[in-house]
Amino acid sequence: MNPYNYLYVSALLFTIGAVGVVVRRNAIVVFMCVELMLNAANLTLVTFSRINGTLDGQVVAFFTMVVAACEVVVGLAIIVTIYRSRRSASVDDASLLKR
Amino acid sequence: MLTIQTPEAVMFWFLAPLAVISAIGMLLVKKAVHSALLLAWVMITLAIFYIAQDALFLGIVQIVVYTGAVMMLFLFILMLVGVDASDSLTETIRGLRPIAITAALGFGGLLVSLIGRATLGREAAGLVDANSEGNVQALAKLLFSTYVWPFEVVSALLITAALGAMVLAHHQRSVPRATQREQAIARFRGASLGSAAGLPNPGVFARHNAVDVPALLPDGSAAPNSISATLKARGDMLESTQFELSEVDNTVTEEK
Amino acid sequence: MTFTAPVLNYAQLAPMLIVLGGALIGVLIEAFGPRASRHASQLFITVASLVAAFAALVRVRNQSSVDAAMGSVGFDGAGVLLQGTILIIALLSVFLIADQENFTALAAAVPGSSEERESLQLDLRVTEVYPLTLFAVAGMLLFPVSTDLITLFVALEMLSLPLYLMAGLSRRRRLMSQESALKYFLLGAFSSAFLLFGVAYLYGYSNSVTFAGIQASITGGSGNDVFLLLGIAFISVGLLFKVGAVPFHAWSPDVYQGAPTAITGFMAAATKVAAFGAILRIFYVAFANAEWQWKPALVLIAIVTMVFGSVVAITQRDVKRMLAYSSIAHAGFLLAGVIALSKSGLDASIFYLFAYGIATVGAFGVVTLVRDSAGEVTDLNRWSGLGKRSPLVASVFAFFLLAFAGIPLTSGFIGKFSIFSAAYETGSTAILIAGVLSSAIAAFFYIRVIVLMFFKDPVEDGTSVVIPSALTTTTIAVTSLITLILGIFPAPLINFIESSAFFIR
Repeated sequence: MNPYNYLYVSALLFTIGAVGVVVRRNAIVVFMCVELMLNAANLTLVTFSRINGTLDGQVVAFFTMVVAACEVVVGLAIIVTIYRSRRSASVDDASLLKR
Repeated sequence: MLTIQTPEAVMFWFLAPLAVISAIGMLLVKKAVHSALLLAWVMITLAIFYIAQDALFLGIVQIVVYTGAVMMLFLFILMLVGVDASDSLTETIRGLRPIAITAALGFGGLLVSLIGRATLGREAAGLVDANSEGNVQALAKLLFSTYVWPFEVVSALLITAALGAMVLAHHQRSVPRATQREQAIARFRGASLGSAAGLPNPGVFARHNAVDVPALLPDGSAAPNSISATLKARGDMLESTQFELSEVDNTVTEEK
Repeated sequence: MTFTAPVLNYAQLAPMLIVLGGALIGVLIEAFGPRASRHASQLFITVASLVAAFAALVRVRNQSSVDAAMGSVGFDGAGVLLQGTILIIALLSVFLIADQENFTALAAAVPGSSEERESLQLDLRVTEVYPLTLFAVAGMLLFPVSTDLITLFVALEMLSLPLYLMAGLSRRRRLMSQESALKYFLLGAFSSAFLLFGVAYLYGYSNSVTFAGIQASITGGSGNDVFLLLGIAFISVGLLFKVGAVPFHAWSPDVYQGAPTAITGFMAAATKVAAFGAILRIFYVAFANAEWQWKPALVLIAIVTMVFGSVVAITQRDVKRMLAYSSIAHAGFLLAGVIALSKSGLDASIFYLFAYGIATVGAFGVVTLVRDSAGEVTDLNRWSGLGKRSPLVASVFAFFLLAFAGIPLTSGFIGKFSIFSAAYETGSTAILIAGVLSSAIAAFFYIRVIVLMFFKDPVEDGTSVVIPSALTTTTIAVTSLITLILGIFPAPLINFIESSAFFIR
């Protein structure tokens, strides 16, 4: 087996995540799809780290996890605020801005 | 030089399709909770991939931080928002879905075919050398020497996240809460003594004791102050007339 | 492998460290300071740390080194100029942010609830915006000087997270503000995922995460360029999103409209400087030798961005949305400076960023002044006849619009002239034509607003210009003065930029 196979998996997961962001409407599910994309990027980094024989890729993946954790806190706080105001977490109900 | 042993290949061909199918399932299921569980499964699969690829530390962190903390936070928020809330999968923008699927197939296909064509001009090296004194030790050395500046700066990010959650969620009590004594004094010194004994409970004399049915006063009229202000504000108060006694069959049948 | 203790050059990192220190003090004041004096002390700390950071920057302005922080930060002339620009814009924006009319009294209160009314009566304030602003400023200072991909990613998030939060804190029309925060957040996270994917491919291509390492493998790599191409494409998506280039602009009109106006001004000006600083550095330093890979795509994006921004701005009926589309058009003009890939392109971009940022803060400062009983009035129809009611404010706004349009005697003219001549020198004739064309279209809608303000009859619907606070007055006066001076005597600044702007490799 070729380590490149992991790259294919990661590319597929990234694509699926990107599609999810576009087609799903629940803000929380959209955000989970973003997390899937970040995870896919991490898998690419770890795989390249192994192919290249250096650990820098793993360090990047480590930073991604920290940053993603911060992002989750902020994002979920915003989503909960909106939910409290509007009792709905659908992106489409956020319609005041649509023209 | 990197050689991949058969067990890893078996593991890969078993788990990789599962991960991709779960990810696709995440898009297709209706309920957000199911999406979250499927995503958690994808993340566990990735953790196994990390460990298989000599990234032991990241594999454990993936399970502890991502599946353990981040996904549980997601589930927690889903519980808060209402776990039964299912997402309607009908399209709002007509024709978006076929376009999205076509674009996704194009994008994914392009990406995969490009990766298939890529060459690096060097052999896959493997991490045996880099990990010779232990994965965690080697990572720590990088983290605290070469990447020490971003490592320090990330702390600002953590503080921002904490501060942001506080800003959006922290309520400050603007006036101190009235004590029981103060409340009692206010009831008796108020304009009327009508509420001195406390407000009526919902549903009293209304043949129905649900919290959203107002109590009936002795003259038969409804008493809106028996209902919680929140329910009133939401417009969830029911009419008590529908539970009136006259509509109930109150003829007594004799027991034999 | 033995452990080598890291060496940090604290003098060169001082501006960022001072701003971060100020933010931490601000957080402590939030935790322990008495509520009555919180606003005053937060404002003092914020202004003091920005000024101190600027002083620290002036002290080290002539230094340059590649390893200010173990190769993560490149300190050089261009970095100093960009950081100085960001600090000046941040200081002017903080004066606008200090006007309490912009922010909600209690962000956690549900809009329309009794809790919100109580907090408004008690005159509570979300003073957390000051530390959040400082965190964002620190991220912006780091973004254009980061020389490895990890620092780039961390800085991007550091400047974005506080902005996502602050976009949702508007005092009026809070639902719309919160929705704009959600939209900004989701699309921002989406784009940073793209950036990270690009980081992964660049690491795979070059076996290095530093710009220098990537540049070295572009010149001396032995494989084919597929991973490089993927990396550049994905990273560009992430960065172009931040500057609002078409087709990654979808967030910007909504967020500009929904966010508190002071934050919109700060975001529009400072984020653009920081993001273009980072784009300039990564394209000039890391990708310069792979020019043929990205130039055609970037030329196309620049042209589409200029034309789209200018054309769509014409149809807008809301001042903030109009300024948003105008900023999209400006992103296109600025991309011309990136494409030029020359010393003159770099100089012109830095000058343009400074001039545009200052004028933007000023223009949004004026927008905060036009109000009725329910808050700011951003509907353009209700601005008609403003020039007859308050000639001074309307003239200042008209002046900023002329600067955006690039009319002579304003800083915008010098900026556009130098950036297009830099693009022309390097043979990008298509950019030049598109730029001049869309400038003409843009001038049309700016002048339409000026006509509306001065030659239409005022509508009597309670729209009035409030008397600005001393700080807001300072911001508007300083920004209009700088815009005028740069239009008449641009030479000193241009010479200064020419003598000191360079990227260290």
